[in-house]
Amino acid sequence: MVMFQSIFVLVASFVSCSAFTANGFHGKFARNKSSSTALSMAHTLVLVRHGESTWNQENRFTGWVDCPLNEKGIQEATSGGKILREEGFTFDKAYTSTLKRAIKTLWLILEELDLMYIPIVNLWKLNERHYGALQGLNKQETVDKHGKEQVLVWRRSYDIPPPPVDESSEYFPGNDPMYKNVPKSELPKAESLKLTEERFMSDWENVILPEIKSGKKILIAAHGNTLRALVKHLDDISSDDITELNIPTGVPLVYELDEVTLKPIPHPDAIAPLKGRYLGDQEDIRRRIGAVLAQTK
Amino acid sequence: MFALSRASVRSVSRSALRSFGAVQTADKHTLILVRHGESTWNLENKFTGWYDCPLSDKGHEEVKEAGRLIKAEGLTADVAFTSLLQRAIRTLWHVLEQTGLMWIPVHKAWELNERHYGALQGLDKQETVNKYGKDQVLVWRRSYDIPPPTVDKSSPHHPSNDPRYAGFDFPEEFTESLATTLDRVVPFWNKTIVPEIKSGKTVMIAAHGNSLRALVKHLDGIDEATIAELNIPTGTPLIYELDDNLKPIPQAGAIAPLQGRYLGDQDAIRARIEGVKNQTK
Repeated sequence: MVMFQSIFVLVASFVSCSAFTANGFHGKFARNKSSSTALSMAHTLVLVRHGESTWNQENRFTGWVDCPLNEKGIQEATSGGKILREEGFTFDKAYTSTLKRAIKTLWLILEELDLMYIPIVNLWKLNERHYGALQGLNKQETVDKHGKEQVLVWRRSYDIPPPPVDESSEYFPGNDPMYKNVPKSELPKAESLKLTEERFMSDWENVILPEIKSGKKILIAAHGNTLRALVKHLDDISSDDITELNIPTGVPLVYELDEVTLKPIPHPDAIAPLKGRYLGDQEDIRRRIGAVLAQTK
Repeated sequence: MFALSRASVRSVSRSALRSFGAVQTADKHTLILVRHGESTWNLENKFTGWYDCPLSDKGHEEVKEAGRLIKAEGLTADVAFTSLLQRAIRTLWHVLEQTGLMWIPVHKAWELNERHYGALQGLDKQETVNKYGKDQVLVWRRSYDIPPPTVDKSSPHHPSNDPRYAGFDFPEEFTESLATTLDRVVPFWNKTIVPEIKSGKTVMIAAHGNSLRALVKHLDGIDEATIAELNIPTGTPLIYELDDNLKPIPQAGAIAPLQGRYLGDQDAIRARIEGVKNQTK
């Protein structure tokens, strides 16, 4: 029995040593539930929602409009990077959208982590949900015009998209050189959360997941609705519950995915319905999760 | 009848103009080069090489201005290349931000790194002159093919001790000259960058003094003695137009021996080209 335990300790220390040197702190361990003595390596995945943008500040529906971070958003991203650095995180590859508020967030985090040299892939399917004809409009003005209930339906229903933009509109992505290599039929004129989820999940399955499976530590800097789509999938959250879920900006959200099942290993500090945990001041985070509802009272 | 013939003359000249215009653009590939801005170690006058120091405050401003100049010139890019060193990456990020191109694909490669300075990395340039003598240091700095002394794997400057080079095999004893730098820059250019250009993409490269020297030597056919003395000013966009055979089309305003042209205040640029020579008097 003693010999078994010392072999166990030897194996554990060998594995933890190689995890430390090869992967930094976060080649994490997770107990395989079926056997208390077997150790499996988990895959670390970190998600960050971009910080406040100039249009968030002006309380306008943004969607695919490419507005930048404001000063506060820059600070949020830098703080997110600092927390990741303090907790010893490292990454092999990063994914983000084609929108500058997410890209800048990623850049600021990588600068903090001294990881500017890792490959970054920009995926348009990680873009925020397209807000159709509401893009550019002030949220409160839209409530005054269409009524609170209608706007709430457009904002928070799972599968009802806002009114679409016209193909001639500047807000139709087919008119933006950024998307010149994408077939116009694939580009949205308006999206619900459901449509956002469907187009994002194809890149999750085909592009990101294979990299995770190959052992790469992945950082994703993206938007409120694409991250909702992802955590809905990871944490098995219902369509009703996901529309109310707020993911606070600039706060790293850490998942450890079981190596075999790729399901999140629930963290004791997780705030339901998520199984991943936020890094940072937990009380502040809980408070902020409540704040987004106030934008269209 | 008069109106008919006038219309047909108009349409003939229109289609002639169109095909003339098409010939003009089909032959021309724009290539944008930027050497990273001043780094903190440039400021401290230390041999940097592969050491990953950041831009200095002035360096940040220099390259934001580079971005503004590129934007003012009406240039855009489809894909960008840079090294694994943050001073070049940050330079690229500034330029992409200023030109509204943060979304384009970026490829980072060690082959575009600055020349590795071997055992001189980390040493102060003037102190090194005091220690080894001006001539020896000048040889290490400016000869084409005589590298500084090597570092081995016990040195923190050996790439095997940096996780970013984990996938690559470097010799036990490592150092580089401009010649060996060219030996890794040009194959990378041919294998990875040229196909992008040939597929019609406008390429932007943010890199270092010696990796850019290697590239322009290759593009402009510059001899070894001349390239070893050539200074490419930091944070100054250098624009090439390449024909379909990827040969530079000499640009108006180019400063010999380069065939590309710099953007910005030409007098100031000429003065700066002369200035770098003074670092080890």
